[in-house]
Amino acid sequence: MKKLLVLMLAVLAFVSLVSGVIAADVTLVMGSWRADDVDAMNELFAAYEEASGVKIEFKPTNPTDYNATLRTQLEAGTAPDLMYARSYATGADLYKNGFFAKVNDLEGLDAAFSADYLAPWTADGDVFAVPIQAVNAAVYYNKDIFAEVGLEIPTTFEELLDAAQKLQDAGYVPFANGIADNWDILECLFLGMVPSWIGGADVRAEYENGEKLMNDEVWVKAYADLAKLAPFFPKGFESVTYNDSQALFATGKAAMFADGSWNISVYDDADFDLGFFAIPAPAGMETRMQFHPDAAIAMNPATKYPEEARAFLAWLCSQDGTDTLAKYLPAGFFPYTLNKVELADVHAKEMLALGDGKANDARFVWPKMIDLYTPMLEACNGVLKGSMDPQAAADSVQAAWEALTAK
Amino acid sequence: MAQSAGPRRSRIFRGGSDINPSWHYWMVYLLPGLLIYIFFMAWPLVDSVRVSFYQTGEGIRRFVGFSNYITLFTDPILKERFWGAFRHTWLFFAIHMCVQNVLGIFFATILTNKTMRGVRAYQIILFLPVTLSILVTGYLWKLLLNPVWTGSVFESMGLGFLSQPYLGMENIALPVISLVSCWQWVGLPTMMFFAALQGISEEVIEAASLEGCSGWQMFRFIQLPLIMPIVGIIAILTFVNNFNAFDVVYAMEGPSGPPNYSTDIIGTFFYRLGIAGEHPVAIPNPGLGATLATVIFVMLTIFVVPTLIKTQREA
Repeated sequence: MKKLLVLMLAVLAFVSLVSGVIAADVTLVMGSWRADDVDAMNELFAAYEEASGVKIEFKPTNPTDYNATLRTQLEAGTAPDLMYARSYATGADLYKNGFFAKVNDLEGLDAAFSADYLAPWTADGDVFAVPIQAVNAAVYYNKDIFAEVGLEIPTTFEELLDAAQKLQDAGYVPFANGIADNWDILECLFLGMVPSWIGGADVRAEYENGEKLMNDEVWVKAYADLAKLAPFFPKGFESVTYNDSQALFATGKAAMFADGSWNISVYDDADFDLGFFAIPAPAGMETRMQFHPDAAIAMNPATKYPEEARAFLAWLCSQDGTDTLAKYLPAGFFPYTLNKVELADVHAKEMLALGDGKANDARFVWPKMIDLYTPMLEACNGVLKGSMDPQAAADSVQAAWEALTAK
Repeated sequence: MAQSAGPRRSRIFRGGSDINPSWHYWMVYLLPGLLIYIFFMAWPLVDSVRVSFYQTGEGIRRFVGFSNYITLFTDPILKERFWGAFRHTWLFFAIHMCVQNVLGIFFATILTNKTMRGVRAYQIILFLPVTLSILVTGYLWKLLLNPVWTGSVFESMGLGFLSQPYLGMENIALPVISLVSCWQWVGLPTMMFFAALQGISEEVIEAASLEGCSGWQMFRFIQLPLIMPIVGIIAILTFVNNFNAFDVVYAMEGPSGPPNYSTDIIGTFFYRLGIAGEHPVAIPNPGLGATLATVIFVMLTIFVVPTLIKTQREA
């Protein structure tokens, strides 16, 4: 009887040992806000599993709940092993709270990214995530309508207004944009104009450190020019949501739509020829574009599989990683790296190429002034609805900044 | 109420005296309900009051006394949002009282008319929206109220001036949303009033009409006083539901109360403050959220208890 027991224990110990070895067939869980990208990311991870034998399970959350959910998970110790990290302050806060592992000495990091590239995910001099994707924003346009009305791609803002007028006269809605959803007008349109109207990263720094004020004449002009677009928005644009805008553009009712690159594939099935151009600067000024660091991947310092998680991050830095990202990232999310990027999607390639040779910048408020997001959004809504004049709009943003910095 | 005399006559009754049964006898019946109430209502409520005295920073939760309350009422932006949401919630409630409940009484009175045909059909029509999800009806109304999609329909009827971006107009958006909500829920008070009116004894009605009572007099002096307890209950339900409202605004305008916070009610404000955070940073502040919840709880209590006492005294 005793022998049997010993035998059973021995078998049990052996089984658990073997299963321990089998369990080394690791599955990492990845958190993300990109609920739309499940299929694409699963293909990407399948490619990685083939190369490394490590399985990654993609578990995205609804985008608007991601930050809150992730924070709760991290505080409760139930967070995923790897997770998307927002750029700038949102991600940096989590690092400072000890929820992201430091990845400074990751193999290949310095080769794939310059300090500029890593800046959105750097806090206290430490890098806490490996960048994967950036987005830009431009004007989507319906080439068929442009040809019908006999229009060329506008090269200055004045030409853009002129084109919009002609489109309106021809019975089209020139711009599909609306303001009901309270984010797209700022993130896609106005912050797409800002690099041209205000300036690139160097000028942004002057506003951030207070050398220049956000109610100076260039800002007033930016708001005034934004307001000039309002008559070309759909009737009742105050209640037009982002989905309405997409539908207006997709059905050929609207000829142009200032939108982010992440929506390129929405129009794959549209029965018109799709084109893009950068929001043109006013005559005599240089056209620049928004090129916004969007997501990086961070690792949980409390993960059970630190080696595998680190290996994945190191792979992201490699040319092989970049190629896989370029192949599988949804169209319009551009691999954010110094490695060579070869995109497969024609439209995505075209949109990314718009930024070539231009002094592009991240969205103005993101790096240091994220608390200005709402005041600037309200200023944009105000000038578009005509309830604020451009000077008052600029003043309100500057006043909000002074109130915030005084705290 | 009527059943309270029951146990004395019960055959299965054991223990204690007839008049004063032992406490553990009652406990068995109370326990399941009590436990559910404690775990899912009372305890979370008390705990949220406790959380309102804490603040989370750097991953650590620490006691901060009344500072959350002070922040809520003194921070210039939070203060403005709070009183804005407070005002809007009252407006939201007032429109429901005036439109939903008045229409409810009106419809119920008509439905109790014995000579009317097709009462069933009207009841179904009135009650149908109640059975639909507010997310669905909210979205449908959002499309209907959008000039981009319905403008051409109005214009073809020669009513082009009616096609306005209602949900994007600061002074109009909230009343419009309230009316959509009234349309959705009017069936509930109608049914409750209908049941109450049916409960009025035939003899009273007959006696009144023999005495030459007019229709309005009948309603004002006979029916209304007799259904007063139901009026009170419905007023309280409307009040509590409206102060906790969230879904209809979320479905039609999203969580940030656009345009320019004009549709921001306490529910959406709480959602942003305590649960989802403000776009784009979206980091919630559970301490402040709990503070807001506690303030609302206290306010509801202050308004509900006197109403309850006043309208239920006679019942």
